[in-house]
Amino acid sequence: MAVTDLREYSQLFHSYTELRVQENRFLRVTFVKGNNTTNSRSTTGGVSARVYEDGSWGFASSPEVSRDSIISVVKSATDNAEFLNTRQNRGKGPLPVVKACSERDFTTKKPRLRQKEIVDFVREIDDHIASKYPRLQSRTVALDCLDMEKTVLTSDGSLSHSMIPRAYLFFILSLEVDGKPVEIFKSCGGLGQFEDVFDSPSSVFPLIAAQYEHLERKAEGVHADAGVKTCILDAELAGILAHEAIGHTTEADIVMGGSVAARLMDKEVASPLITLVDFANSAQGRDCPVPVYVDDEGTEAKDTVIIDKGILKSFLHNKESAKHFGTEPTGNARAFQFSDEPLIRMRNTAILPGTSKLEDMIASVDDGYYLIRSSNGQADSTSEFMFGIGLGYEIKNGKLGRAIRDTTISGVAYDVLKTVSMVSDEMHWTGAGMCGKKQPIPVGMGGPAVKCRVSIGGR
Amino acid sequence: MTRQVENHVQIAKRSLDALLKAGADKAQVGLTVSERHEMNIETGELSLLRTTFNNSLHLTAIKQARLGQIGLNQFDSASVEKAVEDVMDIANGAKPDDGHDISEWQPSREFYRGPEKPDLDAMYDRMKSFIATVQQRHPRVVLRQIILSFTRSSSYLLNSNGVNFRTFKGIYHFSAMFSAQEGDKVSSFNGTGLAMKDLDRELIDCGTVDMLLKQSSEQIETYPVKGKFVGDVIVAPDCSNFLYGFLTGMLGDGAIISGTSVYKDKVGELIASPILSLHSRPVSEEIADGYFVTGDGYEAKDSTIVDQGVLKGLLLSLYGSRKTGKERAANGGGAFVVDPGDRSFSDLIKSVKRGVLMDRFSGGAPSKNGDFSGIAKNSYLIEDGEIKCPISESMISGNFVEAFKNITGISRERVDYGYAILPWVAVSGLTISGK
Repeated sequence: MAVTDLREYSQLFHSYTELRVQENRFLRVTFVKGNNTTNSRSTTGGVSARVYEDGSWGFASSPEVSRDSIISVVKSATDNAEFLNTRQNRGKGPLPVVKACSERDFTTKKPRLRQKEIVDFVREIDDHIASKYPRLQSRTVALDCLDMEKTVLTSDGSLSHSMIPRAYLFFILSLEVDGKPVEIFKSCGGLGQFEDVFDSPSSVFPLIAAQYEHLERKAEGVHADAGVKTCILDAELAGILAHEAIGHTTEADIVMGGSVAARLMDKEVASPLITLVDFANSAQGRDCPVPVYVDDEGTEAKDTVIIDKGILKSFLHNKESAKHFGTEPTGNARAFQFSDEPLIRMRNTAILPGTSKLEDMIASVDDGYYLIRSSNGQADSTSEFMFGIGLGYEIKNGKLGRAIRDTTISGVAYDVLKTVSMVSDEMHWTGAGMCGKKQPIPVGMGGPAVKCRVSIGGR
Repeated sequence: MTRQVENHVQIAKRSLDALLKAGADKAQVGLTVSERHEMNIETGELSLLRTTFNNSLHLTAIKQARLGQIGLNQFDSASVEKAVEDVMDIANGAKPDDGHDISEWQPSREFYRGPEKPDLDAMYDRMKSFIATVQQRHPRVVLRQIILSFTRSSSYLLNSNGVNFRTFKGIYHFSAMFSAQEGDKVSSFNGTGLAMKDLDRELIDCGTVDMLLKQSSEQIETYPVKGKFVGDVIVAPDCSNFLYGFLTGMLGDGAIISGTSVYKDKVGELIASPILSLHSRPVSEEIADGYFVTGDGYEAKDSTIVDQGVLKGLLLSLYGSRKTGKERAANGGGAFVVDPGDRSFSDLIKSVKRGVLMDRFSGGAPSKNGDFSGIAKNSYLIEDGEIKCPISESMISGNFVEAFKNITGISRERVDYGYAILPWVAVSGLTISGK
């Protein structure tokens, strides 16, 4: 991205204004059954401005980053705010004034690999799977890398630059059972560019071996018995519980739009074993999968304790919602592309670990399920959530039994969380997913294993 | 040809020439310029007006059966030259695959649809009118996010076999997400979307908007289904992706090439109830938001996917066709039109002994074998031919392959979404489980 000193353009600001120059860089390589089906790079960048006038917002963007286009974009955003403000005086008054500065760049210090070296890396993994596991009906190995680089200037004087990359490998392995496919999905990777995240193809072979073992058991698996069951949600799954089931209901725009959480502030919404935090950039001394230091409204990003020992304590805010609720903005305003306006988004949402051991948790269940991996998830204003389950096992008399086929779990989050009776002492983070809410955006999610009662689909 | 169009054509031609000069055996260039105007209602108030411009340039190079693709949104000479250099590097790094190719020569064509400019005053008036009408007709509804936009795009597709297509399109899109509340109780959120050539009608009167707003108020109070039973599910048009998403996903490149599609060898066979006919009509006048050119460089044509229950073809791209030896699809899918049935919606309801009217499905990704499960959202319990009550915490599970064969009724009434035209569809034999 062309380095642009935006400070000279502050003289163009006549109302509250955010000016952002951004570039997203994608790299995708996919092998399907040995066929190199995708081999691409793309770059999308430009400049945008958002202007606020007494409750009315104007936004404009252009792919061209030049002095003329920046002037034009600021003018167009200002005109748009005026278009609405002159027709409807919302009378909302000024936004909270905040100022923050930050410079964070996670660009690798290692020499960048050429595309051929990256394709060969993925191809070596694919070749390994093909030769090691000949029973597979199909296999997909995909690499997905995204660099998000932003410079933000606001009329309050905030100025930040960040380059936050992520690199993930995705595996889909499939066996044929009675003429029909049974599949398993797994991702690995994290914060950083490819060179910093992945060492050698062989470093992921043990992970693939573990997935093949799960797949063989799933191929012989059974359908779950539909109904409300006691389940151990593995640490790998707890992050999506934190994100989908609870996190979305506490985004302040969703709260203002009618979320059930609106009437639950300072009330008991979960077991005292549950503490839920939306981390800004680091947790337990380590960088989170999607670190945010200053958000796209120029607010310093701070950790937000959403639930403290079972009590709902905070919503996630941008400047406008913070003003509405009479509190401080939390640094959750984030935009995906240069042409997107910032929305209230989670950053790295996690349930904090407890003290139980996973094996003791499984041993405590007479008849239930150990659910390990989610395929997708969805939330609702009522806090009724749903996750697809791609990997899980029966628990019978405290021991793991047969694997189960793909299923779905659901429940009303603030009811399910009250049934949590054990929380494990381990913690698992992932940042492979994209959250969808008008725009997609990378999010981190994490947590320990939890024991609770949820509805499980099946036959 | 306007100066602007001439400029875009020149950029595309220069890019194509540069790819060939850099060593590509075959090359394709896709260039799009778009302008979007968008009004947003947040929490019941018109709060944001957006104007965004964007460019996209997609370069494809094939060299000795090696594929390279690159995308950028800058058109300046230096950026394009760098992209050409990079895409050749990407191609050189690829594994050779004879499946990669570009479309053969076809006559050059220009396609036009929709207005050239937005009517911003009309957009503003329609949105204000929408807010006022919702407040009057459905006072308990909270409008969470309502978006009305107009997008004008000019797209160009050229390749080294002489293909040269130009598409000029203007279209309004409307999307609505809302819930209803009373006291401490709140309904599940619901939403719908539409594409329109103009703003001749009030937004609330389009598609299923008014019906869903009314249902939201009814759904503030819900009841879990008791126990578990096998019954009928009437899939509402807004929930149609629940059915057709699985089917069309199984007909595309990914599932067919990997061999994991349950329909891989089923062309010409009965895969659904004979009362189902499903078409993809991207160029039909009845579809406001269609398309004229496929991503792999062919002029799109309307097609029938399922004719009276018989699978007529797969949805393979040129690549998928070359990899499998099966026929390339006439289009890129979407723009679905389902033929109307011979029964009214109320007759479909009357025919259900015990089941669910499902307006939204929130479920896990279905298994490749068709197994699925998920929650019936914004849905109603049907007993003895009558809609009884809105439900919550109720799961629907079954198998899509069986479900298509178990379609027992299709409504005469259909909803025109602008991007699809869809009826209500009754499916028997699904498992419904509650508390």
